[in-house]
Amino acid sequence: MIEFRNFSLTYPTGSRPALREIDLVVPRGQICAVVGAEGAGKTTLAGVISGVVPHMTGGDPTGSARVGGRLLAKTQPSELVGEVGLVMQNPFNQLSGARFSLREELAFGLENLGVNRAEMIRRVEAVMADLGLTALASLSPYEISGGQQQLLAIGSALVMRPAVMVLDEPTSQLDAVGAGLVFDTLETLRARGVTVVLFEHRLERPARYADRVLVLGEGRIVADGPPTDVLTDPRLAEWGVAPLRYTTAARRAAERGLWEADRPLPVTLEAAADGFAAALKSARTAGGL
Amino acid sequence: MDISPRSADGSPVHRLNPLTKLVFAVTVTVSAFALTMTWWPLLLFCTAVLPMVIASGTLRKFFPMLLALWVPIALTVYLIQGFFYPETSRVVAEIGPLELKYEGLVFATQTALRIMVLMGGFFLLLLTTRPGALMSAMTQRGMSPKTVYVVSAALQIAPALADRAQGILHAQQARGLPVKGLRGRIRALVPMAGPLILGALTDVGDRAVAMETRGFGTSRRPTFLTEVPDTAAQRVARTVMGLCALTAVVANVLGVLR
Repeated sequence: MIEFRNFSLTYPTGSRPALREIDLVVPRGQICAVVGAEGAGKTTLAGVISGVVPHMTGGDPTGSARVGGRLLAKTQPSELVGEVGLVMQNPFNQLSGARFSLREELAFGLENLGVNRAEMIRRVEAVMADLGLTALASLSPYEISGGQQQLLAIGSALVMRPAVMVLDEPTSQLDAVGAGLVFDTLETLRARGVTVVLFEHRLERPARYADRVLVLGEGRIVADGPPTDVLTDPRLAEWGVAPLRYTTAARRAAERGLWEADRPLPVTLEAAADGFAAALKSARTAGGL
Repeated sequence: MDISPRSADGSPVHRLNPLTKLVFAVTVTVSAFALTMTWWPLLLFCTAVLPMVIASGTLRKFFPMLLALWVPIALTVYLIQGFFYPETSRVVAEIGPLELKYEGLVFATQTALRIMVLMGGFFLLLLTTRPGALMSAMTQRGMSPKTVYVVSAALQIAPALADRAQGILHAQQARGLPVKGLRGRIRALVPMAGPLILGALTDVGDRAVAMETRGFGTSRRPTFLTEVPDTAAQRVARTVMGLCALTAVVANVLGVLR
């Protein structure tokens, strides 16, 4: 479980706090998506949860932040290894640079933790199968595409079987198939009780997979709730987040009386298709078409 | 970008412990340089390196690699030593103001042959060993994981940085930077080096975070995915080879076998 109480943080070079008065509880097994404009504090929050900020970056925190009961201010990142997995935006920088095949790269963290070889092989093979990397197992991590490197970075965190996974825009370089694989894997993790905090600027996948969406604005949580509530909030654009096209289309249809009054605005393609089909049917029944 | 030229065939030499092959390469190199008889390196190459290369089945890859690198070096050594060797008495030929000296040619032959042995030993290692297996073997034999990391990271990152440099160069070219000719290439260095170095420095922070979150630097005793086979016979062979290298050095110091 992740628990923040009135947590604020200012970087040594910052004139204003990067995070302000964060109160947040993410229970075990929840997929929590965090969205927000550039500079809203997403990467800082990801860093705090993974123990990197302020230990490796410097910064002045106030309030409390805990992961799995550990007070992060008093926990070094190395103590969170195996408990919190972090996937950053740039996969190239997450490669160890010291392993010569994908299989070896995936095993790097497990080797450092002293996991026995049989277990290591089991975990590596399972992650490669989950992420569709098996055919690439013998290639150099530098020989594969950026998208495949992103999958490898995700796999490198997954293979450690952390209780909390922090993913900072994990699918930014992936095609639809790769992104689908990642989110399917996140669903599996949720079923296993892993807490997932997903930092994204694209809303389509969080809308479908997240249990909850937080919006960060200038370091504060400005909205928090189920995707259907938060992602249809008319203030979303004010917070620097572009609403989903389906939601915008449905809202415009509703403004013209073409969307059923009791039907919530959609946040997924399927819900939008159902809503527009129902609107079309009503219009036909009413003789409007 | 696979940095390893390793051949895929699984010969008995491929299956040897990487340390055995590393010790072999070091031993033949030290022996070639320590003993000063002119034709000794050639003898060493023919009786030690070549049979191992044949046994590994990598002859077809080995010789093109060796010739591509050794021939230019050997030619340079012959030119420099042949014409500019300091202690001379016999002039073999005169080309304009330059004199080709016998002692220089002898010294160049010996040096070129020594380099051939060095290259031969290490090319054999490269062609028959997975880099990961070599690194694992070194760590398993007690070398600091941090030292091994530095070596293997350097091996991996260099081609990756070269790739990135190429990307930056293409981007600069697309913005009109001329890179043709020597002057153009030199002028292109500055706009390429800046982003490359700054980018690499920026990456260091992220990489440190990634390494920390993957347990690098924890005090736990590491385990290894790559199982490196080793036998009592190979351990004995490594000791014997080490002793041979040591003997050659001692012989050199004592002035024996000159």
